[in-house]
Order: sequence, then structure tokens, then C-alpha cells
Amino acid sequence: MLKVIGGFFAGVVVVGLLAYNYMGSLMFREVVSPFGEEETVARIQQNIQNVGNGWALSGLRNPGKAVEAAGGNTLPVMMIEACSTKYSGPILKDDTVRFLSILMPCKVAVYKKNDGKTYIGLMNAGLMGKMFGPMVGEIMGHVAQDQAKFILFDPSKPAPEMIKGMPGAPSGGSGASAPGGC
Amino acid sequence: MSEHIYVFKRFERFWHWSQAMLIIFMMLTGFEVHGSYHLFGFEKAASLHTVAAWTLVSLWVFAIFWHFTTGEWKQYIPTREKVVAMIQFYSIGIFQGAPHPFRPTTLKKHNPLQRLAYLGVLLFIGPLLWFTGWFYLFFGDWKAWGVDSYLSLEWVAFFHTAGAFMMLAFFIAHVYLTTTGHTPTSHIKAMITGWEEVE
Amino acid sequence: MLPIRRITLSALAFSALLAGPNAFAVATKTDALAAPAPVTAVPAKPKPASTSTADHGKFKELQKNFKTGPEVTEACLICHNEAAKQVQHTKHWTWESVDPKTGQKRGKKNIINNYCTSPVSNEKDCMACHAGYGWKDSSFDFTVEKNVDCLVCHDTTATYRKLPGDAGHPVYKRTEFPKGSGKFVEAVDLRKVAQSIGKPSRTNCGACHFFGGGANGAKHGDLSSSLQHPDRYLDVHMDEKGLNFTCATCHSTSSHQISGSRYNVAAAVKGPAHVRGKEDTVNPASCQSCHGDKPHPLARLNEHTDKIACQACHIPEYARDAIGTERSWDWSQATVMGPDGKPTVRKDSAGRRAFDSKKGAWVWESYVIPDYRWFNGASKFQVIGDKIDPGKTVLINEVGGGPNDPDSRIWPTNVHRGKQPYDKVNLTLTLQHTGGEDDTALWHNYDWQKAITAGMKAGGLPYSGQYGFVNTEQTWPITHMVAPKGDALTCAQCHSVNGRLKEIKGIYMPGRGDNNKLLDAAGWIVALLTLLGVIAHGAGRIYLSNRKG
Repeated sequence: MLKVIGGFFAGVVVVGLLAYNYMGSLMFREVVSPFGEEETVARIQQNIQNVGNGWALSGLRNPGKAVEAAGGNTLPVMMIEACSTKYSGPILKDDTVRFLSILMPCKVAVYKKNDGKTYIGLMNAGLMGKMFGPMVGEIMGHVAQDQAKFILFDPSKPAPEMIKGMPGAPSGGSGASAPGGC
Repeated sequence: MSEHIYVFKRFERFWHWSQAMLIIFMMLTGFEVHGSYHLFGFEKAASLHTVAAWTLVSLWVFAIFWHFTTGEWKQYIPTREKVVAMIQFYSIGIFQGAPHPFRPTTLKKHNPLQRLAYLGVLLFIGPLLWFTGWFYLFFGDWKAWGVDSYLSLEWVAFFHTAGAFMMLAFFIAHVYLTTTGHTPTSHIKAMITGWEEVE
Repeated sequence: MLPIRRITLSALAFSALLAGPNAFAVATKTDALAAPAPVTAVPAKPKPASTSTADHGKFKELQKNFKTGPEVTEACLICHNEAAKQVQHTKHWTWESVDPKTGQKRGKKNIINNYCTSPVSNEKDCMACHAGYGWKDSSFDFTVEKNVDCLVCHDTTATYRKLPGDAGHPVYKRTEFPKGSGKFVEAVDLRKVAQSIGKPSRTNCGACHFFGGGANGAKHGDLSSSLQHPDRYLDVHMDEKGLNFTCATCHSTSSHQISGSRYNVAAAVKGPAHVRGKEDTVNPASCQSCHGDKPHPLARLNEHTDKIACQACHIPEYARDAIGTERSWDWSQATVMGPDGKPTVRKDSAGRRAFDSKKGAWVWESYVIPDYRWFNGASKFQVIGDKIDPGKTVLINEVGGGPNDPDSRIWPTNVHRGKQPYDKVNLTLTLQHTGGEDDTALWHNYDWQKAITAGMKAGGLPYSGQYGFVNTEQTWPITHMVAPKGDALTCAQCHSVNGRLKEIKGIYMPGRGDNNKLLDAAGWIVALLTLLGVIAHGAGRIYLSNRKG
């Protein structure tokens, strides 16, 4: 009997450890881009603008620039910020989940690694949303569907221009005054 | 009936355990530098390995001094006496509960197989690791020493790794054989307290 | 001596260990990440008063309304009567460099590269970057002293401009440039420029060297206009708020001979740093001339200097800015017209040139991870008329050296890929007449056949009339954009299985998987068997003692 209970708890611990270990990779996704960094950014921006559902670009932040300004080097990172008031509105109106505003605006990171390739980092919005009740879960499910479209590329189309300055936003980040910003 | 005799002196015990820890640590860091796994990260592993090596060098300086001033080095002189009996004991007698053929004394604390094994470690595996490790460490000075045309890092690393594998095998066997005393823990207790329980 | 020093170091490291795990922890940069990029203007350092003993504004020789460049040079030479002769012995004038070992004549005049290919037949355009006046074709007389251009290097007003089409003459009258753009370049006030000359600044050198290959940052990868006002992260020596080196701080110059040429690179400098007063044969444009070949406090790092160029670790990436550098130039796309049948131009996502019907297609990249290669400083170049094998990638320059050459080091390089025309019968890279307003100019008439025929004729080469396009590769050692020491590569960036040096052959590197596979297998099997042996032995003992007990 003792062995059975011991085994059960050992199993629980193992599963817990595994879950803890893989949680990071479940919450976030990373995919290799077939394009260079700037082109990846530009194509994702174009996709965001074409996906509908109220999505608008709200900023292009480069955290690497801050490191550079402090005198240090880092491989470049470009963070595309986008927002859909259709999705953010209901969450922001509900006091119980208002704290989820820390996830806004929706971000897609484009960065280079030491292998010279460009990567796209995304949040697994669908899974994350499920943890916060049915309303958030449903909204985040839609966000996840749209997000998947952000990184669907059509290589036959010419590379669009990267959109650096956001309307009303200072360069380097989305400001509170950005109309598209959430 | 069992009695207790004092076999390992204080410095010897200190030497043994600090050396044991350093060797385990060097295997851990060494195999990481070798690329077998990731634990500390290459940079830290390499630098810790070097720190441990120098610590072990200084420990050895004291140990060698101690062995010669106390005459304890004689403990490692090989003997053929009872070798066969020891092999028989490990392969047959131990399973039948036969008495240990060797009775340690303060003057002869290692059984004949221990003497051979430790002498092998001290005269072969150790020097192999020290020698290759030295050249590995002073790679940048080969030219100044005029040895750069005779040595290649690849082979120095090869023999250093070979020594490390031998040390690993010794380590595994050694740890197990500590349980083969009068009682499973009597050897280990002896190495901690200095007093060995014998029949 | 050395072992003692090492003991001290390891003792230090050991005490660092005792100090706690944080002693080795890499500082996190998260706080820096959170902050938005501040947009700060670099406060310009106050210009120090000139230390020169002469105020050129007061010389009566310069109180003239000069009409042309050569007139200014004549005035300069009244006092500096050896200057032109000196310049005429430099590559800046001859566009020629002789390999000291093989005698091969290289230099812009003789090679065909995979950017604009060759100045031959295009002198009027290309010679905007010649330190002289009037090199418009092969008839140029290299002995005429007044044709040396003093001002392009010594102007301090940053108003001296030379445009393509003028064969090296400055802008004498207000000109629209580029043609049809509606932008105008003002005529140079030669009197003012002549009176305010000084030592060459980053602006002077950069006017040509930042823009090689026809666009900002295109050619070298480690040189672009970002080095005009660099921050510390980009170049620790040229940092405008820090050391603020000019090009000439390293490329120190004697008799107008500028040290540090890419044709003969000081690839493996040995010995200590230069000491003032001591006779010095070390190339001043090398890291070691100031830092020596053992610059690190850690002996283990110094051991690397036998095999690795400083640049390999200290320039973690090149083109570290939005300007970027060109990775490839595909000439075979030139003469391809837009959908409307007219010449067209396209830019890439970052706003850099991507396609031009005149010139072909380009690929650009920022923050480029270098290609690492063994290099002993010598390159064998593809010179005009050399035979090629079109079945293979043609090497514009063959980088010399290897793992067993004591004068070779592992260098970071910028490999530029090209696709450019060649003569299918004579098997040579072709010369083409690109710039100009005449009927044979490629950029005017979009006709390869005419352009190659004219180019080959100007270069005195036979042309079969059949051309194709061949893949080429040009390798540049990377040496500028040195990062602060904290940004050097870390050990594991090379000492790992898929590290930066995974393509480097001929050396054993711990941690890279260079291990003897047989020994590894044997070693682990022996260890495993020992383990299984003792487990079996122990199990037997337990089993038998249980049965008895």
C-alpha cells in the first residue's frame, strides 16, 4: 500500500517537474523565418494590416537599441506590436481580468540568432487564454487564429516596406498616445 | 569477535576526501569541457577544472611530502603474497560469507589488490592525467618550450580523455569495493574516523 | 614564472567561487530591455583650436578665386613641393598594388571584383573616388603633379564634393545629382576649402571608403557612414563620446603612405605593443601594435592568439546598424525591365537598394555573423584577363593560409557573392562599359552586348561575342567595428557543437565534438561495464546473504 501511494506521489512530482520544464515552450512559440529580419517584420506588418478583425499596428519596438544606447551589443530584436480593440475591449471592461492588459498590445518578436537565421517569437495566446475563464479563453482563441495568419507568408509577393514610425508613437516604442495602441 | 585498529591518520583522511571531491569535480567539469553534456557551461567548466587542478596539485605536494617523511609510501609497494587469495575472495568467498583473507594493520593497511590498484592509479592514471593536463593547460607555451612540432592538441586531449575514462572506471569500482570490508560500511567508517573494524 | 602566475590567478578564481555563484553569473540585461530606445543627440565635442603652426587662411598663395582643382594643387605645391611626388607613389593615386611575394599586380586598376566589376572604360564615373583630377581613360598621365587631388583628403569643411561623370574633378558649377532627381549639389568654394585644410578626418576617408560598391556600407561591411558618429557599442575606439579615433589614428601615415592595406594584411602580428622611441616594424594598423599579442589578463585567453585573430572574437558581428551591408549582387538581373517595359528600381524592406534595371539585384543584411576562415594576410586576386572555370564559383580573391601555417589566424570575413558576366569562349571575366551617356553604356542603353564589347575593347582584351553569367565570391577580412570587450564572443560561442567555428578545419577544439569517437565509445563502454559489474557483484552478495540470513 505504501508503495502504491509512494508511486503515485512520485508520479505526481515527475509530471509536475515535466510540466514546469515545458511550460515555457508551451506558452510561447518560436519559428524560423524564411526571410531576412527586416523583410520578416515588413511581411508580418502587412499581414496584420490585412487580417481584419480590427487589427492595427501600434508600434515597432527594438529592445536591442536600448542595449546599444547603453554601450552594449546584442543581436537585433524587433518587436511588432499590434492591437485589436475588438478583442481588447471586452477584457479591459471586465475588472476580474483587467490585469491581462499586461499582455497588450499583442507582440510578435523577430530576431536573429547566432546561427544567422531569423526567428519569429509568438505567445501561445490560445493556451494562455484558457487559464482565465471562458470569456478570455474565447477571445484569446480568436487572437490565436489571427496570430497564425500573421506569420503566413506569400513569397511570390514582393517584399513590402518595413513600417518604422507609428502614427503618434515615438520611434522605438508605442506611446500612450498611439491611436492604434491598446 | 571484532576489534578496532587505527589505520588512517588525520592527514591521510583529509587527503583522501579532499582528493576524492576534487577528482569527482574534475570528472564532472572535465567531461563537460570534453563536450559530453552541458552543466556549468563551457567557460565555467573549463575555468573550474583548472582551479580544481591547481588545488589538487597543491594537495599532492603536501601528500607527497607526507608520504616520504612518514615512510607511508611503503604502503604501496606491490606484493604477490595473498593476491590469488584476494581474487578468490572477491570472486567466490565473498558470496559464501568466507572471512576476508587480509587483515589490515597500521603497517600494512592495504590489501595486495588495493596496493596494485592504488599503485596503478598513482603511477599510471595519475601521471597520464597530470602530464597531458599540463600540456593541455600550457598549450600556448609549446612554441617557447620547443615542443610544438612533437605534440598535437588532438593527441594530448586523446590521452587526457583516456586517462579520465580510466579514472572513471577506477572510481566506480573503488566506490563499490569500499563495501566489501568486514561489514559493508567498515571501510568507509575507517576512512572517516581512522579506525577500522576487523575480525 | 608562468606557473606561479597561474596559481595566483586560479587562487583568485577560487576566491571568486567562494564569493558565491553570482561571481560567475552573467549580468542580466532585462532592465535594459524594458527601456525604450532613447533618442538622444550626440553632443558634439568642442572642436579644439588647431595645433598647427600655420594658418592656411593667411597664406597669400591661397588668396585666390581658384577655378579648378589642379589650380589649387599648384598653389599647395609651392610650399609642399614633395607632396605630389609622395602621393604619386601611393595606391590612392596608382590604384595598383603589387604582391610582394608573387609580383602579381592587383589594385582597382587590375582586378575585376564582383561589385561594380572594374573602372576600365568607366573612368569618368569611378574616378570620383580617385585622389586625382582627369583620369577619364587609359591615356591618363600619372606623372602630372598638378593632377594630384590634395583637397579630397585634407578638406575640413565637408563641402568638397566630387561626382561621378567628372573624372575626379570637384563640382565646379551647381549640378543636379542624381540626374532627374531635382536635388542639386552646390559648386565647391575652392578658395574657402583651400584655406581651411587640415588633417584627414573620418569624413574625408569615409567619403569614398564608406560608400564603396556604390552605396552606403555596400562593400566592406565593417565600414559605413555609421562610423561617422559611432557610439561605443559600434566601435569602442572610434566612439565619438569616448576615444574618438579618426581613421588615421590607426592607419598612421608616413610620406602619404597609409598603413594597413587589405591587399597585404598584417594577419598574424606577434610580440608586445609598440613602445615610443623603439624601432618598429609592426604594421601600425593592427590591434597588436597597441595591445601586443598577449593583451588579456587571463593566460588562457592569450593562448588563443596563436590561432585566432583579435577580430574573430572582438567583432561579434559586422554591419551592426540599420544601414547594413550588401551580401550579393546579381548582375544577370540587369537590363530586366519593369512590368511597363521601362527601367525600374525596387527597394528592400529596410529601404536599401534591392533591384535596379541598370545594375541588377542585391541582397542586404544588417548585423551579419561573419564567415570564419584561415588567413595569412595574402590574397591571390582575379586580375583582368585571368582564365576562369565557369563550372565552379570563381574566387575573386583566394584567401591564403591554413591551420598548419604559423602565420595564419582564424579571421572573420565578409563573403560577398556575385553573379557577373564572363566571356563564354575566352573564359575570362568581362569588362563592361556601364556608366556614361553614350550608345554603348549599359546604364544608358541596357544592351549587354554593346557594353561588354566596348569594355573589353577599352581594356585591350579579346571578346568572342558570347557572354554568360558566372557565380563569384569575394572575401574581405573584417577588422573595423570593434565592440567593447564585454561584447566579445564568449567561450561557448565557438566551443560548442554548432558554434561559430564549426566550419574551421585542422584544429582540435575542446567542446566542439572533435573528440575521437572510438575512444569515447570505448571509454563509456568500459565505465558502463564496470558499473554493471559492480552492480551484479553487489546484487549477488545481497541475494546470497539474504538466502543465508
